[in-house]
Order: sequence, then C-alpha cells, then structure tokens
Amino acid sequence: MVKADKQLDAKGLACPMPIVKTKKTINELEEGQVLEVQATDKGSKADLAAWAGTVGHQYIGTVEEDDVLYHYIRKCSDDTIEEKTYEKTVSHDDLEERDGLVLDVREEAEFAFGHMEGAKSIPMGELESRMDELDKNQEIFVICRTGKRSDMAAQLLAKNGFTKVYNVLPGMTEWNGNLTKNVNGGM
Amino acid sequence: MSNKVAIIAANGGMFDAYKVFNIATAAAASDKEVAIFFTFEGLNLIHKQGMHALEMPAGKEHFAEGFKKAQVPSIPELVEMATELGVKFIACQMTMDVMGLTKEDFVDNIEVGGAVTFLDFAKDASPTLTF
Repeated sequence: MVKADKQLDAKGLACPMPIVKTKKTINELEEGQVLEVQATDKGSKADLAAWAGTVGHQYIGTVEEDDVLYHYIRKCSDDTIEEKTYEKTVSHDDLEERDGLVLDVREEAEFAFGHMEGAKSIPMGELESRMDELDKNQEIFVICRTGKRSDMAAQLLAKNGFTKVYNVLPGMTEWNGNLTKNVNGGM
Repeated sequence: MSNKVAIIAANGGMFDAYKVFNIATAAAASDKEVAIFFTFEGLNLIHKQGMHALEMPAGKEHFAEGFKKAQVPSIPELVEMATELGVKFIACQMTMDVMGLTKEDFVDNIEVGGAVTFLDFAKDASPTLTF
C-alpha cells in the first residue's frame, strides 16, 4: 500500500462529491502531507488531477485495486520562490557520471509512483531521526521534486557533519531517465 | 486568469438543476468565486418547496432509478453544499414580481437583484454558463 497521512473514503459517491469532499478534507492536512482519496467514480481520476492543478496541490498518482481508485494528492501552499541556499549542486548529467547514493527526500507516496533506480527513500520529515542510515564517507546526492526540499535536506546533513553532500538540480520533475515504480498505476 | 464562474439558471427541471449545481459546487471546490443568477423557471431550483419536487423531462422518468443507483446527491443536498462552499445565489427581482414571489419563498441567504447585479459579477468571469 502507498503511504498517506490521511484517508478519505469517497467510495460510492458520484460527481461532484469526491471533489467537494477532497477540498474539505485537504484543509485538515499540513503542508507537504499526503491525502489518499478512495473513490469508485471513474471520472474522479481526471477530475482530481485537474482539480489539483487548478488549486495548486500536487497530484501524485492513482492506483486501481478491486474497482476502487486510490488517488494520492500532496498538499502544497502557494509556491513562493525561495532562494536555493545550499551551494554544492549537481545536474542530472553530472549525476550519471558519479558514484554514490541518491537520496530521495520526497514523501513515500511520491517515491512509490516513480524514482531513480537505486535511490534510497527518506522523506524530509524523517531525515533527522534516520540519519544513522547514511554513511558519512559516501557521496550523497539529495533529490526531491523541484529542489526545494532537497536543499533543506542537504543543509541539514551538512550541519550534522556530512561533507560529501550535493543537491541535485533540477528535481524529479525534469528527470528524463528511467523511472522505477513500486505501484501498478500511472501519474 | 479569471477566478470567477458566472452561471445563469433559466430552466426549472431536475436535469437543469443538476447541470447548474454540479458545475457550481465543482467550481467552488476549486477555489472559484461562483454566482448563479436564477431567472424565470430557474427560480424553481431554489424555491423552498419547488426544489423538492423538480420534474424530469417528459418521457425520461425512467432515469430516476439511474440517479438512485449512481448515488447522486439530491438537489436540496447540492443546494446546501453550494451554500456551504460560498456560492452566491442571486434571484431575479423581475421574475419574482411577475410570479408573485417574495424572498421568503426561497432558501436562506439569497440575494435579490436585477440583471445588472449579475452582469456586474459576470463582467470579468470566465466562463459564464447558461443552463
């Protein structure tokens, strides 16, 4: 199962109820958290993706299981353009020539719907408590969706004595290489 | 990009009601500012008694079962939801005068206005829809 912070049961409901309920429920989430919407309305897949695009949330993807659609949406606030402050960065091209660990700090649900082969998943919110899973002697390439969370993660790692840390810019949104998935479903 | 959706409801059947309120609630749930101008038979859709007894088009009554099976919400439920989501209802004063109706005949929180009230809202709305 894909990990989510909250589940919304909209099974059996017809349009526009899945959207209306999603709108209400997402208000209860913190920014960056993932909502799972369970629906049987076949139109909900296209509708939720369009809705997320309109209101500025991130539509991660949908999995279908036993005639139920499981949609994953990550709550975003208005994307303020923040200065990337961590200095050491690498591009996607550089990355292919380097050895080391690709650390993906997006939410588990985002990771499940597509990541670089061999990447390790530690969501940004868990990084501080799971830092002992990382090796300080290894080069670490931190990636997220757009480069914002990975910038914060790289700074956090540097502050904790990791010296071989690089932020991968841009993030997964512009990654053209192969994607590995942990779910049977599409974006 | 315009953040307003303007809707004219000019017909009073059950199918008309679904077209109006489905688009209105979906738009409101997408953070749009929505206003519906109810005119002529359209006033039926927010009439306290009328909205509970909206008719299907002649010969289409057999769809009642389909509505039930698809678990489509009732019109009064959709009206309540639309209000909750902040959809603005404007009832046409002229039609009310012609039909001898007052504000009390309608659901709460409606605004009564003329064509210009609606036009003022709709002048920078996109899309404007008529049902």
